[in-house]
Amino acid sequence: MKKALQLALGILTAVGGFFDVGNLATSAQAGARFRFQLIWSLLFATILVIFLVEMSGRFAAVSGKALPSAIRDHLGFSFWLGPFVILTLVHLLVLGAEIGGISFALQLVTGIGFQWWAFPVAIVIWLFLWRATFSAIENSTSLLGLITLCFVVAAVVHHPPLHQVAAGARPTLPSHDGATYWFIAVSIIGSVIAPYLFYFYSSGAVEDKWDKSYVAVNRGISVIGMTFGSAIALGALVVAAMVLAPRGIHVSDYNQAAAMLTDAFPFWGFVLFAASMGIACLGAALEVALSLAYATSQTFGWNWGEDLHPREDARFSLTYTVAIFLSALIIAAGIDPLKLTLFTMVINAAVLPFVTIPFLLLMNDRRLLGTNCNGWFSNAIVVMIVIVSFVLAIVSIPLAFIGGT
Amino acid sequence: MHELDLARDVMDKQLIDRDCTEMGRVDGVLLELSDGSPPRVDSFELGFVVLAERLHPRLLALLEWLRRWSVRKTARQVVQWSAVEEVTERYIKLSIDATETPAFDWEKWLGMHVVEHLPGGKEEE
Repeated sequence: MKKALQLALGILTAVGGFFDVGNLATSAQAGARFRFQLIWSLLFATILVIFLVEMSGRFAAVSGKALPSAIRDHLGFSFWLGPFVILTLVHLLVLGAEIGGISFALQLVTGIGFQWWAFPVAIVIWLFLWRATFSAIENSTSLLGLITLCFVVAAVVHHPPLHQVAAGARPTLPSHDGATYWFIAVSIIGSVIAPYLFYFYSSGAVEDKWDKSYVAVNRGISVIGMTFGSAIALGALVVAAMVLAPRGIHVSDYNQAAAMLTDAFPFWGFVLFAASMGIACLGAALEVALSLAYATSQTFGWNWGEDLHPREDARFSLTYTVAIFLSALIIAAGIDPLKLTLFTMVINAAVLPFVTIPFLLLMNDRRLLGTNCNGWFSNAIVVMIVIVSFVLAIVSIPLAFIGGT
Repeated sequence: MHELDLARDVMDKQLIDRDCTEMGRVDGVLLELSDGSPPRVDSFELGFVVLAERLHPRLLALLEWLRRWSVRKTARQVVQWSAVEEVTERYIKLSIDATETPAFDWEKWLGMHVVEHLPGGKEEE
């Protein structure tokens, strides 16, 4: 019974925590520019992320180690230093994009420029992390995050042509703007397979003291939670295709995306969009800041844990503190939140090999995982993910220059 | 565990003290070499300078220079192998108190000079 409750809570967490500024921006752009044609990239990325999240949870439950800790343990400092530095920078950019998302949501409802909200937002994020426990953060932001289901409701209200939606699940070549098409496809994959997700999820499993008995719960959370989470992103894409595409709106800034929900919810649409964006980004910002502090503390072997008082893990607590305020600087400097988000999602895709290769090595370590090692099927999937991640790493940066909007 | 592979089971491993507090990682291993007998593990080292030494001599020089602002009493903390109580797949447990070693100098300094001055930083659990 306790496990069933945890499964339900875990699924809610995954659904509420899945959708963030990256999903919103890339789904809105995909729907607005190419209607349903890029649904395949969202489905493809969802399948990959289900496998990777399941593996990171299984790894933590069986070995008792979170991923950054295990990578340093088993692959060594020299192997890990380069990826660690690069992923730290990526974390800061993603955190900046999430702070930008919250700040923009506040701009929508107050009319005060987003850059003025960067530091007040940073203080709120910091206070959450400084004062709350891990489970309080995990459960409250994820439950509030369910407000993003309004995109699914709006998608249903618009009665999209189902045969066209289904046809979008099959990869097809674009009839126009080829470079932009591939740029958005790569951005969608980068937004779904975000590196922080795996470090946060595996560290959270250690915080929640998972053991081998959680392997089945973890599988349920990964498959059901990620699938439902992806459905929200799909909802946003469909709404953008139904509302923005016919009007020729290409979503070159968040103001254009803000009208997405007003057709389905004439009175509340604007507020719902702002609330969804603000809450989804707040949840993600907390996860990204924690993920960075987890990775840093585990890399150097410091004491860490969101449930400890900041005095008991000062280095851990000050790592997320510095990260939050550094990332807020990017937004306070006036950099456009949408451009930062799209750029960051492409960088996410570019650094994927650093995330996927350790999976292949660690998930086959019988000394760590025993009978819970990857089987041939999971290995085949990981090898495919590694190959895809290399292709993405090669094409993503050039695409950002050629097809970036 | 009866056999230890230094690279696999000791290097980079998480260290915990007698109270299970995480106190760093094994950044370097020191062997004792003597004529006529095989090398013997003498101790291991912790510290950023040890990590820097593993990467590049110039990085080591840079860290040595930066040390003028460090609050840590010793850049290299040497722990004798005799302090090892247990080696497991997850950690190496030591018989010492981490909070009394240089590994906790920064932790204590930040707690006292930064965390305590922030809202809620003084509260006890």
